[in-house]
Amino acid sequence: MESSNQDVLNSSSEELYPIALLMDELRHDDVASRVQAMKRLDTIAIALGQERTRKELIPFLEDVIPEDEDEVIAIAAEELGKFVPYVGGAEHASLLMPVLEKIAACEEPIVRDKAVESLNTISDSLTDSQIEQDFVPLLQRLAKERWFSLHIAATGLFRSAITRVPSEIRLELLKLYGELIQDDSPMVRKASATHLPELIDILAQHFSTPDRINEFHWDLVTSMYESLVNDNQDSVKFLSVDVLISILLFLRHIKETSHSEDLFKSLITLANDPSWRVRYMVADRFERLAVNFNDEQFTLKLVPNAISLMKDNEAEVRKAIAKQLPGFCKLVGESDPSLVLNDIVPVVSQLSMDESETVRSALASEVTGLAPILGKEATIQHLLPIFVEMLKDEFSEVRLNIISNLQLVNEVIGIQLLSESLLPAITALANDKLWRVRLAIIEQIPLLAKQLGVAFFDEALGQLCMEWLWDPVYSIREAAVVNLQSLTKFFGEEWCKVELIKRIQFKKETKDFENFICRITCLFAFTKLIPVVTPETVATELYPLINDLRNDHVPNIRFNVAKSLLNVAQKLIGTDRNFVTEKIKPTLESLCNDEDTDVKYFAEKSLHSVDELLEK
Amino acid sequence: MDLDSDIQMEDAVEQTQAEQAEKASILSQVPISITDPTTQRDTLDGWIEQLSQCKPLSENSVKQLCAMAIEVVKDEQNVQPVQVPVTICGDIHGQFHDLMELFKIGGPCPDTNYLFMGDYVDRGYYSVETVSYLVAMKIRYPRRITILRGNHESRQITQVYGFYDECFRKYGSANVWKIFTDLFDYFPITALVENSIFCLHGGLSPMIETIDQVRELNRIQEVPHEGPMCDLLWSDPDDRGGWGISPRGAGFTFGQDISEQFNHTNGLSLVARAHQLVMEGYSWSHQDLVVTIFSAPNYCYRCGNQAAIMEVDENHNRNFLQYDPSVRPGEPTVTRKTPDYFL
Repeated sequence: MESSNQDVLNSSSEELYPIALLMDELRHDDVASRVQAMKRLDTIAIALGQERTRKELIPFLEDVIPEDEDEVIAIAAEELGKFVPYVGGAEHASLLMPVLEKIAACEEPIVRDKAVESLNTISDSLTDSQIEQDFVPLLQRLAKERWFSLHIAATGLFRSAITRVPSEIRLELLKLYGELIQDDSPMVRKASATHLPELIDILAQHFSTPDRINEFHWDLVTSMYESLVNDNQDSVKFLSVDVLISILLFLRHIKETSHSEDLFKSLITLANDPSWRVRYMVADRFERLAVNFNDEQFTLKLVPNAISLMKDNEAEVRKAIAKQLPGFCKLVGESDPSLVLNDIVPVVSQLSMDESETVRSALASEVTGLAPILGKEATIQHLLPIFVEMLKDEFSEVRLNIISNLQLVNEVIGIQLLSESLLPAITALANDKLWRVRLAIIEQIPLLAKQLGVAFFDEALGQLCMEWLWDPVYSIREAAVVNLQSLTKFFGEEWCKVELIKRIQFKKETKDFENFICRITCLFAFTKLIPVVTPETVATELYPLINDLRNDHVPNIRFNVAKSLLNVAQKLIGTDRNFVTEKIKPTLESLCNDEDTDVKYFAEKSLHSVDELLEK
Repeated sequence: MDLDSDIQMEDAVEQTQAEQAEKASILSQVPISITDPTTQRDTLDGWIEQLSQCKPLSENSVKQLCAMAIEVVKDEQNVQPVQVPVTICGDIHGQFHDLMELFKIGGPCPDTNYLFMGDYVDRGYYSVETVSYLVAMKIRYPRRITILRGNHESRQITQVYGFYDECFRKYGSANVWKIFTDLFDYFPITALVENSIFCLHGGLSPMIETIDQVRELNRIQEVPHEGPMCDLLWSDPDDRGGWGISPRGAGFTFGQDISEQFNHTNGLSLVARAHQLVMEGYSWSHQDLVVTIFSAPNYCYRCGNQAAIMEVDENHNRNFLQYDPSVRPGEPTVTRKTPDYFL
């Protein structure tokens, strides 16, 4: 019976959903059915109408929900966030709060968070007086209950109320938040510390003008920060870094510097904290911290700290600071370029040989960003050797990250120098056993070609570009074909004829051409060249090989010929209509009678498009 | 419980019959808020496009898809003939992104012809997407892709190893699981590449001496617990000669003497099969009479194995392509990542 019940449920779900059935589903024995029904709570509400939703559905939910399984409650919490219109708009919105309050008391974090989120959503439609009369008391109840889970729920609600209440209530709320910051339970402290930066940002947004600055309650905010910095749990303490950033942002906004010295001292303490997680947090936010102190004195004083983080004994910390290097060095470089070169670069060099591959990989993805800061000479002298070494790294991701970011270096030192020093490394990687490394190299080729010029390119890389066409991995062959098109755009048609077309045509004479992969690659290559050469070249150089393959015994090649012939026709229709009617069309027509269904399909498709071309 | 739901249902229908008519008009305007797979596309190409982004089809589309697929595969033979060139692949096991990687390595279908030797579902997180995609491609290009049945394409195994649970999680009911497992009954069980390479999921059976005997089986049924059809999907080659009892509890192990006899009797050059994890992605046994191909890299996201596919060109040259797990955008390949909860 249960399965037939399921059938009814599913077959009707697209059109009509009997309401009573849905209500029954909410009480179904099977959790999955209740979940599905709960997801359609809005349908029930719309069908019931606003009044019955208020009088029947919401009380019903209040009754059944708290006893249900977490996954059902989570969905109810989410759905109720969208419910304001269904209960009759803002004036009735408060009605939704008791049930959400009950859900917010749930110990399961996912459920609790959904309820908090929905309460915040609903608060947007409340008037300021509703906030004061309904929302704030709810928040206070949660924060004052003697159970950690409710305190956590409360911490997420302050942001909706804090700017929308009268001054004295705001003070009360901030004091309450201060208590949560010092809660007995570390989980509550953690939650309140997590939400504090957002709260500070919201306060800063509203109260940064001189006449309202008192409302920011600087003393309360800083005492909360102080208490976090001195928390005995590192999982709470490390959250103070983000709080610091928010405080700095506020001070920067109101152009106040008198507190900087104290805050800087606290940052230095955090940067040297015995717990690596705290140091990690400082390292991970290093650039933003430096930026927001907004004072070159402090930036320069941070250099020794950056260096000690780069030498940290925990790999995660080194990895985090490695990612911050370009941004931070740019700041340092603006005040004292010699510091970057003399103090930081030697440590970068050490870091490039770090024992942890994830550290090297992180460094590789960022280190090229130092080139513009150091300038041409220093890059050549100090950074290039690091790049060359990292290109030889045994860990492929390190090599890949360097190659993918060479553009920046190129802009600083020019392609000539770059290619001279790095070309050997690049050609070595052209045959890397990891195909993604080969792909990354191919993707750099058009850039290299553009700047190397024809002569140097042919000599250094020409051969390589042809070899990729015969790579065992399809994606490399595909990229190689696209690459030929880009190269033709730079070097022109004559070059293409001699260096590419002739060489590919030559392939036809070799034994490799007996392999269908070789033939289909030649076909793809010629098809890709059609748009970038003149119609004459298409007709005389490209078309013959394409046309020869129309009788290939492999159907995959024949239907690709059919696709390719459409491209030929599109190219030639303007200059040589007869070519299309006398050569291409008959071939396509004969392919339409092919024994293979796919060949027929693609031939018919191309023929149809060719006919349209001819009608124009 | 059965009784309960029965009564409730009848009540519900009776009560609402009168109101239903007026509510129908309201409800038809209500957007369907179930966010589960409902994004509906009407065409096969639309489905393929959607699936290629790893987005599952709606239940209704799956129903249509599988009905179309039955029409395509039911007329295929127990020993489906396949032409060269073809690329032969082994187990996928719901590792959808690695299946996409496979196409990056071997070339897209239909430009490359493919032969998959079963086990599309279970273990990985994306069994629904994987099997939907392959079935959709089969319908779109029946001549370009062949999909055989593996031992996991069965009702019993999928209830234990994940496909059933995944369907339930993604669709809220077991309907999609039922639709797919009903389709699996029609999948061909073996393929023969140009009368030379015999392809199947597991291995040989003591009850099968000639390929013609496979042709006589009635394959359209749940994978049986024993007998020739079971063996073809369950057996493994072994270093010991003769037939042995399989540690899997189904099928047999077979030695080199068996492979020699079978290949000789049937004029074969090779038996290609999947079914076993091999660290290099492929592995020869019985002095190159049997090859195992496994196409799920880093199987179960933890085995650390390479995957492989075997290209057979029109001159019967064989070429193995090995590959590693796909790189997922936004997901570092780093093994030692500090979990968020740790921070």
